[in-house]
Amino acid sequence: MQSIDNPTVESSSQKKEPERGAGETASGALRAWLDRRYQLTPLFDFLSHKQVPLGVHWMGWYYLGGITMFFFMVQVVTGVLLLMYYQPGEATAYESIHFLTTKVPFGWLIRSIHSWSAHLMIISLLLHMFSTMMLKAYRPPREVTWVSGYLLFLLTMGFGFSGYLLPWNKLAYFATTVGTNIVRSVPVLGNWLLEVLRGGQDVSINTLYRFFAAHVVILPLAFVAFIGLHLLLIQRQGMAPPLGEKVAPRGMRFFPSFALRDLLLWLACLMVLAALAVFLPYGPGIPGMDWELGDKADPLAPAYPGIKPEWYFLWEYQLLKEFPPHLFGLEGPQLCLFVIGILFVIWALIPWIDRRAYRDKPSPAFSDLGWAAILFLTYLTLMGWDVGAHHDAEQLTSMQEVARVCAWWTLAAGAVVILVRSWRFGHRWFILTGAALLQVILHGLIGVSYLLAGLISFVLAAIAILVLLYFRRSGADAAIST
Amino acid sequence: MEEHTTTVDKPATSRRHFIDLLLGVSVVAWLASVAYPIIRYLKPLPQTGSGGPTHLTRDEASKLEQKQFVIVPVSGQRVIVVNVQDRTCAFSAKCTHEGCTVTYLPGQSVIWCPCHDGRFDLNGRVLSGPPPRPLSQYAVNRQPDGGIVISEERA
Ligand code: FES
Repeated sequence: MQSIDNPTVESSSQKKEPERGAGETASGALRAWLDRRYQLTPLFDFLSHKQVPLGVHWMGWYYLGGITMFFFMVQVVTGVLLLMYYQPGEATAYESIHFLTTKVPFGWLIRSIHSWSAHLMIISLLLHMFSTMMLKAYRPPREVTWVSGYLLFLLTMGFGFSGYLLPWNKLAYFATTVGTNIVRSVPVLGNWLLEVLRGGQDVSINTLYRFFAAHVVILPLAFVAFIGLHLLLIQRQGMAPPLGEKVAPRGMRFFPSFALRDLLLWLACLMVLAALAVFLPYGPGIPGMDWELGDKADPLAPAYPGIKPEWYFLWEYQLLKEFPPHLFGLEGPQLCLFVIGILFVIWALIPWIDRRAYRDKPSPAFSDLGWAAILFLTYLTLMGWDVGAHHDAEQLTSMQEVARVCAWWTLAAGAVVILVRSWRFGHRWFILTGAALLQVILHGLIGVSYLLAGLISFVLAAIAILVLLYFRRSGADAAIST
Repeated sequence: MEEHTTTVDKPATSRRHFIDLLLGVSVVAWLASVAYPIIRYLKPLPQTGSGGPTHLTRDEASKLEQKQFVIVPVSGQRVIVVNVQDRTCAFSAKCTHEGCTVTYLPGQSVIWCPCHDGRFDLNGRVLSGPPPRPLSQYAVNRQPDGGIVISEERA
């Protein structure tokens, strides 16, 4: 309430969140006028009492959701601008983007911002998700918030995937071919899904129409709906207090203190975005983060080496490569889809799987799971990126070498993670991280096949956990629990 | 007394139950009648490409001469036609792994899929890499006038 006579707050909170701050922009009279009609006082009261928990974690984690939303808003604005020139169609899609980037004043800038902001949005979303995971903010009563955030994450992947095809260039054509083909492995519905997704047997201009509809209408509507739900839940419940406490020791007022900081940070993000878009208009030039238009898609041209999806799909792409043609009577891609499906379902259900956090107790195993997941993804992503490959050499010869170089990088990262966790945070639970690193060693340094290495590590980790549970049961848990 | 209430209640609950059931069924039926047209609408029509044998055009034939291979559409499918020494063969150009368009490496006489490094021999069999099935073969007929006809029957 005290912020009403503070002009800075008024304008900033209005710009940021119209529904939250709508009342605060009005002068007293206008406010009274509105209040008489719509009884806004409880809302203002609620907002002015809203607090951000403080004093436990680094505060930075709390800004990531807001930053993700900021990038999403940038996507909406630049997306609408791009729509004014983009023409989906066999003879127009590629041409219109070409025209946009070469002829239209600042067309290149809008496209560049749209692409950069997409990547930055995914980065901040991933950070947001992993920090939520590590802080166990998903525990009751916030399970649905986690699931809605998870769905937003899937929708964002969908945005990236569908947007990739729209310029109708060669790279996108093949990346989409491979990407959509994965759904063929879905049991029973696979072929139907594939055809519905592609608008035919193969990727064609019909696919572009469907992806266009998804990218500019279906996904945004769904995204806004889920963001609404996500924010509503957060407003209703507030941010998660630290584990083991019902309320945080200290708090910061959301209005104006936190909102102003949010706003300042958004300004910084916009500046970073603008700098990147201007100085690197086609991306940093690494595979998977590069939006040079290239050649137009031609369904009758052969694929070429170096076709990669965007970086956040690289781990799936690499995993697909690691599966042999047949295994357990299934085709490799089917099994791969199955494994990916299981991983995604586990991730969605974490609030219910983590029984200790459920009871508001520290759950070191799940912090470790988060880090193990990060290392697992890192190793696959680095390999998908061909880190350590000689760019002019034959692809086959360097596969093992790539794995070795990537293994060293991942091991180095793993060592840092373990050291920091044990020194700085006193973690003592490293079984899953250890298993992830063991797989890296077995595959990258010793040369065991990726899947076998994974299986060995998985079995060893399972045994270790069982032994641990056994000891804990028999009362010797003093040394094990954190 | 108790008996009395059950006799009174029973028909009432079962009638209500029946009406609830009816309502449920009609809601499901209504949803289905909405969903069905949408599902049918989304499912693309079967390809109506010109079926049957395909003649290589002059452009395609000269490309075949120059590069030892060419990719042509045959009844809506991508087909790779390869010149090997004295014979010409044709395969589905759609990699059996994830459907990339394959290419031909004349130096090594293999059909190569660059997406995940799948390799096939000139019978379409998998040599290495992740593809789970061989490439299906197409029939190639050289006509007396030198024209090349690709058709779907197996060679
Ligand atoms: S698509 Fe051909 S090897 Fe994967």
